[in-house]
Amino acid sequence: MAASNASYFASALLGRPVIDKLGQPLGVLHDLSMERGERLPYIAGLVVRKGQETSCIPWIAVDLFNAYVIAVDLERAPAEPFDPDGEGVILVRRDIMDKQIVDVEGARLVRVNDLKVEGCLDALCVTAVDTGVRGLARRLGQERLWGFVSGLFRKDLPHKEISWQFVQPLDDKVTSLSLTVSRDKLVDMHPADLAEIISQLPHEDAEKMLLSLDDETAGEALAEMEPEEGGRLLSRMEKERASDILEEMAPDEAADVLTELPDDEAQELLGLMDAEDAEKVQELLEHEEDTAGALMVNEFFALPPAMTAEEALGHIRSKALETELIYYVYVLGEDQRPLGVASLREILGAPPQATLGEIMSQSIKAVHTDSTADEALEMVEKYGLWAVPVLGEDGSLEGVITADDMLSHSLRDSNRRKRFRAKRSF
Amino acid sequence: MAAVLRKLSRRNILLFLSILGPGIITANVDNDAGGITTYSLAGARYGYGLLWMMLPTMAALVVVQEMCARMGAVTGKGLSDLIRERFGVGVTFYVMIALYLTNLGNTVSEFAGIAASLEIFGVSRFISVPLSAAAVWLLIVKGSYRIVEKVFLFACLIYLAYPLAAILAKPDWMEVARAAVVPDIRWDGGYVTMMIAMVGTTIAPWMQFYQQATVVEKGITREQYAFARLDVIVGCFLAIVVAFFIVASCAAAIHQQGLTVETAADAAQALAPAAGPYATLLFAVGLFNASLFAACVLPLSTAYYICEGMGWELGVDKSFREAPQFFGLFTLSIVLSALVIMVPDAPLLAIMYLSQVVNGAVLPAVLVLMLLIVNDRRIMGAFVNGPAFNAVSWFTVGVVTLLTLILTADAVWPGFMELILPKG
Repeated sequence: MAASNASYFASALLGRPVIDKLGQPLGVLHDLSMERGERLPYIAGLVVRKGQETSCIPWIAVDLFNAYVIAVDLERAPAEPFDPDGEGVILVRRDIMDKQIVDVEGARLVRVNDLKVEGCLDALCVTAVDTGVRGLARRLGQERLWGFVSGLFRKDLPHKEISWQFVQPLDDKVTSLSLTVSRDKLVDMHPADLAEIISQLPHEDAEKMLLSLDDETAGEALAEMEPEEGGRLLSRMEKERASDILEEMAPDEAADVLTELPDDEAQELLGLMDAEDAEKVQELLEHEEDTAGALMVNEFFALPPAMTAEEALGHIRSKALETELIYYVYVLGEDQRPLGVASLREILGAPPQATLGEIMSQSIKAVHTDSTADEALEMVEKYGLWAVPVLGEDGSLEGVITADDMLSHSLRDSNRRKRFRAKRSF
Repeated sequence: MAAVLRKLSRRNILLFLSILGPGIITANVDNDAGGITTYSLAGARYGYGLLWMMLPTMAALVVVQEMCARMGAVTGKGLSDLIRERFGVGVTFYVMIALYLTNLGNTVSEFAGIAASLEIFGVSRFISVPLSAAAVWLLIVKGSYRIVEKVFLFACLIYLAYPLAAILAKPDWMEVARAAVVPDIRWDGGYVTMMIAMVGTTIAPWMQFYQQATVVEKGITREQYAFARLDVIVGCFLAIVVAFFIVASCAAAIHQQGLTVETAADAAQALAPAAGPYATLLFAVGLFNASLFAACVLPLSTAYYICEGMGWELGVDKSFREAPQFFGLFTLSIVLSALVIMVPDAPLLAIMYLSQVVNGAVLPAVLVLMLLIVNDRRIMGAFVNGPAFNAVSWFTVGVVTLLTLILTADAVWPGFMELILPKG
């Protein structure tokens, strides 16, 4: 049929009578089947129900299509028996309406209350999903009532439509699951927001969503989750992929997640990881919870005292992206014990040929791997540090605790409470 | 034998312990103010007469709760999520309204429990109820529910007093055992109402939502499902054991002594054999604990289910502006419930009891939706109900619906029940 460019809401169409050329009723419109188009999906057929029987009428048979009546010419294309389990069949009511989608702007999960279809060229395309209160009221057939009530409060019923261009199913094969926005949109989200959304999703969708992200984004999101939950997701994932994601995470964050897994499973994942990354994580895993050793990261700058400021800057520049803490350079003797520390500011301000030994400050404040987290925190506070170095039993430098890790550790109880409440509190 | 031992490996036991919880917590919240009151009245009024209901009720409870745990484990979604996705917004909207109203009734009964228990200590309800309402609200918005939950669950050990009291009251155990298995159906309005109230309080509509939500929240998957099933069975068993002994001790200590129960303080007599002069105190503390816990759980969880089903923003960490429906819903429940209780001379015991009857009336609707979902292969895959399970659950729905219809008919046309009852 020659479709106009009128737009309809699916809720207004579903349940309308469908008649044939002679005006004989064929049943009511039960559902609309859609197919992926080049840019937007289009309506491919009408699922018509009469009594207990359901049939599918191809779109080309449609003569007249509006919110009052739907007329079809069955001579042009006959009705076919409808197979609900057919491969690749996507039904508007069954598979899309009422499902959850991610609202990227608001960084939250919302439900599809209604679907907007618009005539474009000679097809009817799905253009937007309605997630607002107005869509809800419309579905319930109470748009005027709700509008009247909110009018009493001098407010309009809020519209909220998300264009279909941003909507994309998580999984190409299965149709019946939460939809989400296209992947590149997800990658742009802040990892903390992403983590919150993932933790609200049903577990299979959470897994699919995590799998749809690249390793780096997945790692960032996983690090923002409660370790317990991250561990759960990771242990259900394919081992190869899980180890790839772990490699992308900071060693201390990876260690946090791995502690939540059974020993054999954690070891298996470590075995699959890149040897160097695995070793860093393994070291951290050996320390008891809440000690300086468990909190530290083992990526830091340790340079010899004879290196010049210029060389040191070159070194920092080349490794800056893979090192968590770049503000301090620890100057180590041959026995790996720290001789002193130089801040980036001091190095930048020093003459290029000055050696680190000359620039560094010798009074170095450090804790031991088995010191408590509180001792390290006191040091950060007392000396105004960005990080505290952690020494092993033999006095060699094992790692550093950054002030922000410290902060999140000391705020952990309240943070945990908050994050837990973010999900559920009963 | 070897296979059994292999299953009992350390790893499996640890796994079970880590999954343990949702069923037991649900069962404990189930014995709330309305529950304690209903069971006490059942024992006080009809002696051992209603004990026979415990076994079939437990079977029904296990069947119903098991389905919820299974749906949660297989789909990872809450019950209101599934209702919305399977039946659309229309059904969800009206189910949510019904659920809100019944849970409001339950919350009222929790505040009635708070008022009644503190009045035993001589605290006026005009002081205790507003203070508790404020405390509950603050606990939800500012507090940590995890800690609160542990305290309340620990305090549930008070329930142990009931078996003790029942034993010390020296009932005729042969009589108790006989009453527990031989049905004694009496066709009078009070008795049938009590039967429905017992089913309603033991299998309350909110429990299905709650059970499924806790399973989902614990992250239990279909692989760990066998353990979740065990947890449900253990939880239901514990709930029924507690209920059984409340009925039995009230029967022995109140009914057989020919006493009547008019106020909450009267119901404390049941504990006299075990606690002697401290019976009233023990009863009051137990009732207060159960009421306050449930008064936190119900408004909050109701708000969650509704917002989840309707797709509204939810979470206690959000601001009122971000999640207005969520905050509005639970604040409204707490405020309305507290206000009802403060109406002068509100009959507390009657309110607690009535809310259980309402539960019994809404339950069939929820059960029917659940059964349709749990039998939907698109949703449950291979985990759909087997024929035996379906038979038992449809039977449960049928019985509860029938009982409710009879009760409602009798309320509308008094004498209806006598009309359909067999003479004699």
